[in-house]
Amino acid sequence: MDKSNIILFLCNWGPHTAFQLLQDKGADIPYEIKMVRIPCSGRINKSLLLKAFEKGADGVALVGCSSGACRYGNGTDIAGTNIADTRSILKLMGLGEDRLRHATFLPDEADALLTFLTDFAGDIREMRKTPVASPMPSLPENRSVDFLRGILTKHDVYACQDCGKCSSSCPLTLIGKPFSPRGIVNSLIAGDIDDPSVQNDIWSCLTCGLCYDRCPSAVNFPDFIRDIRCHIISLGNPVRETHNGFFQSLMRIMTSPEVKTQKWAWVPEEIKLDDNSPILFFGGCAPYFDAFFRHHLGVETTNILKDSLRLLNFFDIKPALLENERCCGHDLLWAGDEANFLKLAALNVDMIHSRNIEEVVTACPECFRTLSHDYPERGIPVRFKVTHIYDFLEREIDKGGVDFKKFRKTITYQDSCRLSRFDNRADLPRRLIKRLKPDGFHEMPENGRAAVCCGNSAWIGCDSYSKALQVKRLRQSRANGGNLLVTSCPKCQIHLRCAMEDPFLGDELAVEIRDLTSIIAETINWA
Amino acid sequence: MSRKQENENIKKEVIITGFGGQGIVLAGSILGKAAALGDHLESTLVQSYGPESRGGACSAQVVISNLPIHYPYIRTPDILVCMSQSAYEKYADQLKPDTLLLIDQDLVRPMPGCGDYYAIPATRIAEELGRKMMANIIMIGFVTSISKIVSEEAARNSIRDSVPKGTEEANIKAFRKGFEYGLAILKGREKKASGHTGAIA
Ligand code: SF4
Ligand code: SF4
Ligand code: SF4
Repeated sequence: MDKSNIILFLCNWGPHTAFQLLQDKGADIPYEIKMVRIPCSGRINKSLLLKAFEKGADGVALVGCSSGACRYGNGTDIAGTNIADTRSILKLMGLGEDRLRHATFLPDEADALLTFLTDFAGDIREMRKTPVASPMPSLPENRSVDFLRGILTKHDVYACQDCGKCSSSCPLTLIGKPFSPRGIVNSLIAGDIDDPSVQNDIWSCLTCGLCYDRCPSAVNFPDFIRDIRCHIISLGNPVRETHNGFFQSLMRIMTSPEVKTQKWAWVPEEIKLDDNSPILFFGGCAPYFDAFFRHHLGVETTNILKDSLRLLNFFDIKPALLENERCCGHDLLWAGDEANFLKLAALNVDMIHSRNIEEVVTACPECFRTLSHDYPERGIPVRFKVTHIYDFLEREIDKGGVDFKKFRKTITYQDSCRLSRFDNRADLPRRLIKRLKPDGFHEMPENGRAAVCCGNSAWIGCDSYSKALQVKRLRQSRANGGNLLVTSCPKCQIHLRCAMEDPFLGDELAVEIRDLTSIIAETINWA
Repeated sequence: MSRKQENENIKKEVIITGFGGQGIVLAGSILGKAAALGDHLESTLVQSYGPESRGGACSAQVVISNLPIHYPYIRTPDILVCMSQSAYEKYADQLKPDTLLLIDQDLVRPMPGCGDYYAIPATRIAEELGRKMMANIIMIGFVTSISKIVSEEAARNSIRDSVPKGTEEANIKAFRKGFEYGLAILKGREKKASGHTGAIA
């Protein structure tokens, strides 16, 4: 049981030859090493690296060809980037970046390879077993028709009048995807859960809630889809995860009680914190996103957290931080992994309760929604008030005494579905925007409760139609003369920027994106 | 202000002024009652209306003191609260250098070079709260936190006793708005004085 497990991803070309030499010689390769032969070190992406840790690896080594000797040209460089990003994420998660190593060898460097493996195995023995608990449990399988009927009844899906209003409001259908919300309903009512359209479409829904707003029978699609996803997962069907499941692995690793995250290392020194404060700032996953997307999109969503802390300080609040904060679990729940969502929820809530916290402030619409709504609804009661930072800011600014510097941008605003639609608070960010002094503020054609999604939710089902949605949204934001797109959710920023990476449309779509909290922090001052 | 130091006369003269219908006299009476009934000080109130009746100039003169007051009229106030431009202009040249000037910023435009003053959009806030008539109560909240001439509790109780039945909570809410606005202004001045102007260092 105590035996360590080290996964060695070994490139088929140069280093594998060296490894074979060692085997031929009967060299003393450390017993923990499990070798997986791969075509090229550049093919082992961040998700595969993290997946190994999710499954309980104590150490992972990616061994490829020396730079310049890569048979495919840039494999070694890609591997270097993937390793650097994943190491910084392991560090944030508190697993220790040194559990992941990268090395390169020429075919004749067998001795050097052996030294590397022996040293690494020794280091891992010293670091002890991984804190990640394995294997992850899942919900019990329940194939009975009654169980499925129960979900349909719970959401009163039988009340569907087949009117088609959902399809005519669904952004996916409107952008041209062969996708029908009521088609899913019809197949499920017929008991056809294995129908390919259900198996496919169930992961495409953005759970944006636009159809629920329009449905005359008030069928709550997002909640219904979420429950069906939970059910489908329990049947062992595959989830259409984006980024090869990287974020799902990240979240599941955090369900292990022994994992001690270290996600606050970046907090600037001038921020005033107080361990005994009754007010806790809940950060969310922005630091992980920034590490993951660093080379791809250059997003800096951690700035939202920095600026939130600055604004709390500005109003004389010195908040506490949860040292061992986990992901809130929003994306696991909405991707149907309720069992692991509940573990995250229980861990977070227990830690917060143990600290006499009265109020939790967060800047993330999804954390806000999940802590305030989904934790209690799914059986994890909370004994603290959950406040979105906008509510805090609106309350404080409304007291008077503060002013805003002129902000030389013409802005448009992308609503967050969780805040504007689910919580019906579309007015809240707008009240704040109206206090700012921009050159102009223009709404996009669909805005507020009717706003269109940023293209993805819960890191599942992203496809070319998501991209089409984003392209449409970015064009809209530029069409009305805006030169700054303001967002409220770090993920809106990530997904929308993703579309701007398009090599053909890139320039046409490029628009600066900034978070509302950061703009407030930049321009607010005492009058 | 407190009742202490019996021999030393601590006297504050307040003029609240605006036009008829703003509840100027009620504001003066609330302030005077707060001082007398709540803070156990002496107070007097003199009200005057201009030659025009409704909508014309209107003012309330309130004297608050720890010793008996012999003369209730005021020439140069310690605190001047202005809720109309004409009222402000009438008094502007009679002020002492240390007169505390408080204005409704949407109704009064102070003259250039008039010195320091405290401003609140009282009427606008009252409109946002749904009752324009409560601007006077908001102003009392503002006066209370900025000048501390009466205690917060005394002001609250006095408001409760003076406003029409059934509107107490709405008026207390209005008071709190004005009071917090004043606190925020004071805090902002303190922050600026210590060099903390914005949120980003
Ligand atoms: S809008 Fe509602 S009632 Fe109409 S088809 Fe869709 S689910 Fe059925
Ligand atoms: S929740 Fe949004 S994406 Fe899903 S079916 Fe409804 S409108 Fe379409
Ligand atoms: S839009 Fe881009 S960043 Fe977002 S899920 Fe899809 S591929 Fe990932």
